[in-house]
Amino acid sequence: MTIALEDLLQMSAEEIWARNERPSGDELRNKEQTYFDDVYDGMELPKYIYRPTPTHLFRWSAAIENFHRIHYDLDFGLNHDKNPSILVHGSWKQSVVPQFLKDFTLPGGWPWKARFEHRAMLVPGDVLIMWGKVTGKEEKGGMGFVDLEIGMKTHDGIESMPGTATVVLPVRGGEPIPYPFVPPAD
Amino acid sequence: MTQETQSALTPEVQAMIGVTGEVVEGWGIVDEEYLRRFTQAVMDPDPRYWDHEFAASTKFGEVITPPIMVSYMSSRIRPDQEDPITRAFEENPMSDGIGRVSRPGSLPPVPTNLVRVLNAGNELEIYKYPSIGDKIFFQNRYSDIRERVGRDGRPFLIITSETTYKNQKDELLCITRASSIRR
Repeated sequence: MTIALEDLLQMSAEEIWARNERPSGDELRNKEQTYFDDVYDGMELPKYIYRPTPTHLFRWSAAIENFHRIHYDLDFGLNHDKNPSILVHGSWKQSVVPQFLKDFTLPGGWPWKARFEHRAMLVPGDVLIMWGKVTGKEEKGGMGFVDLEIGMKTHDGIESMPGTATVVLPVRGGEPIPYPFVPPAD
Repeated sequence: MTQETQSALTPEVQAMIGVTGEVVEGWGIVDEEYLRRFTQAVMDPDPRYWDHEFAASTKFGEVITPPIMVSYMSSRIRPDQEDPITRAFEENPMSDGIGRVSRPGSLPPVPTNLVRVLNAGNELEIYKYPSIGDKIFFQNRYSDIRERVGRDGRPFLIITSETTYKNQKDELLCITRASSIRR
């Protein structure tokens, strides 16, 4: 059972970091299926906690070949763009979202879609909480569609990425979710 | 809307909705080394990304890749074009590191005098994980342009660009949408 987001935000940054629920490779290998039948309105997903450092930002810039200096050149960020520090990439946050949804739906579900906004500047030193909460569920075409509210909050409660998502979970005893994913006709 | 505040959604702007770029083949292929760097940078240790034997036993039947990893392949600087980074710093040692570059498949600019650009959000639709060895084909389209009025009474535009990614078998991989505010 994951800790409630509301309770997590009462903690210090160090205490939040200690509550990181990002799974290990072995946990992902052996993950048991969450079925459509198991989820309920208000259910919270495991919290993924991140503590980005300049090295993490540089590694992301290099991986995707994003050379914008605001992400790795502190002098440029402070003095040219007048930012508070180097900035965490929106593209990194955007790439955490499908990972977070994938992990929740493994091994047999599907992370179908998500939409979100980028609102706050995130910097090294922030402790970030990727979170999700079930807001609705509907069975269609033998598949379990689950709506989520998602976001990435800072340790002091600022929501940097408010959004929504829809994932597909198998119904217990039902048919497997097709791969590649094909949504049912409305 | 008062007479002084003319609509930003002019017929010329409206005509951009649905404008579609050419289908472009991304540079290179989806390869294991790019996959390793990407998944380590996003901090996803899933063995489905590297353990072929295990991945073959999953519903996917093979090693998978993060769905939007391929979206960054479309922004690679191709070696058969002038290097915009080199040029940017030759022109201006204080360049922001992006440089001005026209990428294949780019959409024509929306004809508006609203020049300030803000990120309004992103959407993802995922259908299939790209496979190792895939060639990636992408196509951009203006999927929506809307007008809103700010608190200052001035109109602004929300422009949504959609990119569709397919593989060499014409299988749909994912669709991304990026919305920007033009003030």
